[in-house]
Order: sequence, then structure tokens, then C-alpha cells
Amino acid sequence: MAANSWPEQTKLINTRIPRLDGIAKASGKAKYPSDERPEGTLFGVILYSPHPHAKIKSIDTTVAEKMAGVKAIEVIAGPGKFVRYHGDDIAIVAAESEEQALDAVRAIKVDYELLPHAATEEQAMAKNAPEVVRGGNVRKGRAQTTGKPDEALQKADAVIEAAYSVPVVTHVCLETHGLTARWDDKNHITAWASTQAVTATANELAESNEIPVSNVTVLTEVMGGGFGSKFGADIWGTTAARLSKKVGGRPVKIFLDRIQEHLAGGNRPSASAKIKLAGNKDGKITGMIAETHGTGGVARGAQFPLPYVYSIPNFKREHSDVFVNGGNARAMRAPGHPEGCIIMESAIDDLAAKLGIDPLEIRKANLAPGDFRTKIYLDEIAIGADLIGWKQNYKPRGTQKGIIRRGFGLALHQWGGGGANDKQVSCTISSDGTIELKSATQDIGTGIRTVLAIIAAEVFGLKPTDIKSNIGNSTFPPGQSSGGSTTTPSMSPPCYNACLEARDELFKKIAPGLRGTPPVTDLSLADGQLLVKGQPVMSFKDACRKIGMNPISTLGKSSPGLASNGVGGVQFVDVTVDMETGVVKLNKIVAVQDSGLIIDKMTWESQVYGGVIGGLNYGMFEERVVDPISGRMLNPDMELYQLAGASDIPEIIVHAYEPPEQKQRGVIGIGEPPTIGTAAAIGNAVSNAIGVRVTHWPMTPMNVLNALAAQEGKA
Amino acid sequence: MRDNASSSNSGNRRDFLRGSGVAAATAVFTQTAQVGMDEAAAEALAAQGVAVQSGSMKITLQVNGQSMVSEVEPRSTLLDVLRHRLDVTGPKRVCDRSSCGACTILLNGQSIYSCTTLAVAAQGKEIRTLESFDTGPKSVAHAFHQNDGLMCGYCTPGFVTACQALLEKNPNPTLEEVKKGLDGNICRCGTYVGVVQAALDAAKAIKV
Ligand code: FES
Ligand code: FES
Repeated sequence: MAANSWPEQTKLINTRIPRLDGIAKASGKAKYPSDERPEGTLFGVILYSPHPHAKIKSIDTTVAEKMAGVKAIEVIAGPGKFVRYHGDDIAIVAAESEEQALDAVRAIKVDYELLPHAATEEQAMAKNAPEVVRGGNVRKGRAQTTGKPDEALQKADAVIEAAYSVPVVTHVCLETHGLTARWDDKNHITAWASTQAVTATANELAESNEIPVSNVTVLTEVMGGGFGSKFGADIWGTTAARLSKKVGGRPVKIFLDRIQEHLAGGNRPSASAKIKLAGNKDGKITGMIAETHGTGGVARGAQFPLPYVYSIPNFKREHSDVFVNGGNARAMRAPGHPEGCIIMESAIDDLAAKLGIDPLEIRKANLAPGDFRTKIYLDEIAIGADLIGWKQNYKPRGTQKGIIRRGFGLALHQWGGGGANDKQVSCTISSDGTIELKSATQDIGTGIRTVLAIIAAEVFGLKPTDIKSNIGNSTFPPGQSSGGSTTTPSMSPPCYNACLEARDELFKKIAPGLRGTPPVTDLSLADGQLLVKGQPVMSFKDACRKIGMNPISTLGKSSPGLASNGVGGVQFVDVTVDMETGVVKLNKIVAVQDSGLIIDKMTWESQVYGGVIGGLNYGMFEERVVDPISGRMLNPDMELYQLAGASDIPEIIVHAYEPPEQKQRGVIGIGEPPTIGTAAAIGNAVSNAIGVRVTHWPMTPMNVLNALAAQEGKA
Repeated sequence: MRDNASSSNSGNRRDFLRGSGVAAATAVFTQTAQVGMDEAAAEALAAQGVAVQSGSMKITLQVNGQSMVSEVEPRSTLLDVLRHRLDVTGPKRVCDRSSCGACTILLNGQSIYSCTTLAVAAQGKEIRTLESFDTGPKSVAHAFHQNDGLMCGYCTPGFVTACQALLEKNPNPTLEEVKKGLDGNICRCGTYVGVVQAALDAAKAIKV
């Protein structure tokens, strides 16, 4: 029977367990999709557009085709087609060596008709701007209105009017997008893909090559980061398969170079907002009027949640998606939320400053009454305030003196993090005592491989390292794509059920042969032993020997009660700012996070640290810089596109909020929530330190100095 | 390098460019002591003039104590030869231009970025990649594992190698020295807390 709750007493679940593939990864022996070089592999190199907007007049590959080592060329954008951003795909060459493919790419002659571009939002929103898409560059969504916002603004004790913005950032997966595809025979494709979704990748390869999906095997043993940008084969992967077919089945390996990874591998849309926020002296927010926009490049997707977290009785919002000649947005860790959080949390802080209220108190006063998160937030605010030393340290905005100033800020966030209930895990017990789990999910660094093994080990009284936790294969039972913090809550329930069923089956098979033929209810497993009435009678291995030739195999499904969704989370930041240079130094970050029952506290903690550091990058360093004149990205690298290094990381305190009622909720995902609030909290801490709002992210010296200059009327 | 000097006779434009590529790289090498091209070799090269090399050539590399022969181009980076020709895939290609550290290897004991080192320049030198490092209970890899200093793990080979190089030079690093020693590496998953602790733990473990 399927379980509807997790065991009360656990030996492994909710403890700290190092990940199963840790040594493989730390020894360089783990084979990533980009490490695979099956026999006969050809290297694919992509020709991509140097222009932000152009029509392909002609493309000549004849010279390239005859060059040494070149085996095949696929043209993606032929004559008459348009390229719509710097980095848009034009053609792919497959050659014996990467160097040869590169030479051939350079030898392809493309005649472009250059078209006017709108590569920045300013350009795209200008009058008579060149059209990025037919129908205009600015797509207004329907205005949302609740209550009477105009009236609320008039009646309020205080109203702030402000503009906030945060630029486009890119995922910067360390392993770039790509795969190696081998057309095994007429009808079968094997692909080693760097993906967050083996199943979706298999589907896409099957569909684009017109073969049944059962003829496709996608393998992702490990992979080097996705953050929301790797959910399919992409044009690069489907072309690799086509090229492989073309060359008679030799594998073709295509991974983007770092430049194109920035340009075309996805990004988080920008967000800009003009906000009016009204509130009374008691700290209650009464109304909000917001005009927002953002760009997801040549695609939509710049929507973000607002109002965010807080309950605002009267509000009005108009949002526009702006199209620019830039690579299209893809889901990025907690899509929309860090943007909405920055805008909401800045506005509420600015209102608190105007009303002379402690930022902590104004937040507490505006949580939704009756919402299940309200108590969580109140507890988390109290815990976080304690850990950062809010009481002793916080000083109201504008009261600091001197060149070096310290500031404190906080931000609240929320996420769903629930799972799907149609996933499956198989569990097989062999007579040699091996236990193998299988599911078509994948470990993108989150630790799901280890989480599944922990659950199985808990059920069988073994060690996690005794379990073969096999994932990353599209032919396994249907598993969850890794996005939206859904993997662990989707996969843990079917895994638990598969193991319970397999264990019961084992008991049923061996009980009759045990001395005294005990009823199965007398059997249990612990510490690698089979127990009868609590007394060890033989090793687990010996017990398995008794099942005979046919292994026990079960297919676990989900059942209610084991997973849930909906989390809060609060982060606090302590900074020091140099008023002369605008340099911000992070002193400390505190993250208090709820997420139901934590299976592996170690990988959970890593996820939270990682989320915070992702948010730290968003708050401090990251920005896609586009040159308006050439329409090209100026920093498609890892030097001028800045990311934190070891010395940029302050003290980070991660606190798991897990009172008994949290554990009873079951499993909830953790990938997204901890990355949401960090950048907002950093901005608030900086503003608290320097006495004025820095309206544009990230908190670089330039943006800080601009804010100070604006205050002095110099901007 | 000398083996192929004769090809300078067949100089076309591409050969010239490739030759100058080697020269340019050499200039970079000599500027950064990191790269470990010893002065004597640089002087010899200067005296001999720039060798022009083109086409592909057979070279022998000493990788993890083994002689490995590979057909390379003069412009082939050491990283690409290790990964694409010799299947030594521990070092990763991430930025491909000395910004992220994922391709870090040890060349004659010095940690270098193999993405911006030419394979031909590594001939006759001792190349060590993390595949050859100890993984036992007193190893850097073990400390990374125990501290969960890795998530997706794609940056991990670079961090492990940088850490190994640091500890070989400085067996008692302070926290600040560890951070400095790892500042040439970038992790997108955000594993720094575990990584730094791993380096400190490994230093302790290796001593006992
Ligand atoms: S790949 Fe060599 S430093 Fe980034
Ligand atoms: S562990 Fe993924 S980039 Fe460092």
C-alpha cells in the first residue's frame, strides 16, 4: 500500500549525507556530456550572426565544404531568412577536428543585408523604432486593478514615487548548452546531452527527426549546470542528430562556445518599474500603482509577480513586454521572482523610510492575514533579525555619518516548489543483495541522485552508498524535469513507495522459509540485517539470496501526503559602503528558509548557499551590456561579465526553519527560493547605509555613485 | 618545435599567422611567470627566431606519468588536446580564455590555465591533471566530498587542482590565503563555502 506520511523516526532522512557522486566529480572521473567522445566523433562548430538584425541575402558553403576534415554542413538560416540578434544561428559545420570545423565556419561566405536594429529597451521603445517583431515592440498586457488605488493614494499619510530597474542577466552555465548525437542505425538516436530534462530532450530529438521517441536514448549521467535554461535539445541538438545521420552515423558533438552561450543560451529578462506606494503612520500599506516593463529579447517572458508577498488592498498595474534584438529569455532560477522581489522590497523600504518606521515592522504589518505563510514569515523574521543583530545594529536610513558607512537590509520571498504526481521510480532487489533505483529524472547538481538513495537506504536499513541510484536516462520510468524546485517533491514519493513495496515483497517471499515461519509483520530491516521480532537473524545480503532467480521489481507511484508546496523565506544583509568610491563590501548574509521535510540536510544547505550566492551575483555584479550602436553584447565572457569569486563571499549563515509542523508537510523543493531575496536585501542594505536609494541594480560603484550624485542634484 | 622548422619554407599567409600565434602566445608566457616557461627556454627561442609551424604534427606529452602521443595543430590548446584527443577530460573548458579556472592543470608543478597554453609548448614538461591525485581519506577530493564543495561539479576539477597546487606550495594556508589561492576560479552553482572549508580541512588532513 502506498504511504501517506514519512516515518516519524528516521536514521538517514533529515541528516547530513555527502552526495553519492562527490568523489567521481572531485576526481575528474565523472564523465559529463561534454566529456563524451564516442568512437568516430566529429566536432560541430556553429556560425552565428555577428549582427543584431539582418537578412541573409546569400550563403555560400562551397569553399568550406571542400576544406580539410569537413564532413557535413547544415544551414539553419538560408537565403531570405532573418537573423534577429547577435548570436542567432546561421549554420553548423561538422569536421574531424574542432580546429578544422572552426576554419570552415570562417570560410562560409554570408552576404547580409543589414537592417536597422533595436538592441536596447530604449531603442525599442523609441518613436519610429525598427520593428523587432511585427505588431510593435511594446506589448501591453491587460491592466490589473483591485480596489480603488487612486483614492487610496490621495488619502494616505505618505506616498513614495520611485523608479527601480534591474538589467538582463544570463545563466552562465559552466557547461555550455549542447549534446553529442549518434544516429545508431536508420532509426535510433543516442544522445549525451547536458540537459535538465532527459525526457523532453528525447521527445524533441524524436519529433524533429521524425522517429518514435522509443527510438531515442538521452543520457545525462551528470551535467554542468542549467539554472532553467536547458529543457530541450534546442536547434543545436536536433542539428547534431541530423548531421550524424548525414555522415552515416558518426557521432556529432556540438557544444556552444562561451560567447554564444551568453548570447543565445537564455537569460533572465530585465525589469523596470515606476511605483507609487502609499501607507499610513501605523505602517499599513493602503495602495500601489505600478507601471512595469522588461525585455526577454526577441521573445516574451518579462512578466514578474507584483505586488509581491505583501497584502495590498488597492492596486493597479500595467505591464509591457518589450521586444529587442537580443537572445530570448529562458526560465532562470525562480523566474520573475527576484525581479518582483527587488521592486516590491525597494518600494516598501522607501515607504518605511518616509514614514519613519523600522523596515522590519512595516513588513510584519503587511503580511496577508490568514495566509499560511504569515506565521512562517513572522518566525523567520525573528530568527533572521537575531542572527544579523538587527536590534543592536540597525540605524534608520539617513542617520549615518562618515565616509565608510554600514547598512542593514532585509527582503522576504516566496515560491511554490511543489511536485508532479505522475512520476515513477522502479526499485529492483537482486538475489545478490543489490538494490537499484531507476527513473528518467536527472541530477543537475541538486543532489536528487543522493536523495533517492537516502530514501531507499532508510527503507532497507542500508547505507546510501549501498544503493544504485540510476537516473539520467530517458528510457527509464517517467521522471521529473528539473525545474521550478519540483524534482525532489516529484521523485521522493514514488521512490519511497517503490522501496516500501519491494521490501514487503521481499518479506513475503522469504518469510515462509525462515525458521518458525514468522508472519511478515514480524520482519524488519536495520543496519544491514534482517530482523525477526527485533532480533537480527541474518544479513540483508543473505536474506536476498533466498529470493531466487527472479529479482523483485516494483514500480512506485506518487501518493498524497508525502510532498507539499508553498514556501516563504527571509534574508538579511549587512554591508559597508565607501561613500567616496561607491564600493560595497558585503559583511554578512543571513538566509532563513523553510521547505517542509528536508531529506538531505547537507545538499539542502548547499542549495541554499548556492541560491544566496546566485542572488549575491545578481545584486552585486551581473549585467548583460549591449552596445546600442553595433547592437552587440559587449561582455559575452567571464571577465567583464562579472561573477563572484571566493574572496567576494562574505560570511553566510543558513538557517533551516523546520519546526515539527514543517516536517509534517512532507517534501518541498528548495532550488529556487533562496536565490530570490538576496539582491533585494543587498539593495536595501546599501540604501540604508548611504541614505539614498540606489535605483538601478547591480550595486556596482557606478550605480552607487550615480545615486549619490542624483541626490546632490548632479545627475 | 624544432622538428617542424622545415615547414617555414612553405610559408603562406595562414602559416605566417599561425607562426605569429605561437610567438604571441610566447610573449604572454614570458610575461606571466605562472605559465612556467623557464627563462633558458625563452632565451633559446629568442636566439633561434620564431619557428613557423603549420598543418598537424605529432607531439608527445607526459600526462599523469604516461607518455601520450597526439596529432595536434600548432594552435591547438593544451586543454583541447587533453580533452578532444587524449580523453583526459578532468579539466573542463568553460570560458576558454583564462577567466574561470575550470581548465586548471599542473605544468611542472605550477598551476596554469590549460585553455590558454599551447599543447606544443607543453612538450617535455610534466603535466598533471586531477585524475592523478589521491582520492583517499587524506586527499583534497575527499575534503571536497565531505564538505559538499561541489554541486553540478563542472567547476570542481579546477578548484580541486588549484587547491592541490596551493597546498603543495603552502601546506599551512590561512583562510585568506585559501581564498586568494582559489580566486582564479569561478563556480556558478555557488559552492564557495564548502570549497573553502574543504581546502582548510584538506590542509589539516594531509599533515597528519
Ligand atoms: S576554461 Fe581556462 S580559464 Fe576558463
Ligand atoms: S559546482 Fe556547478 S559551477 Fe561549481
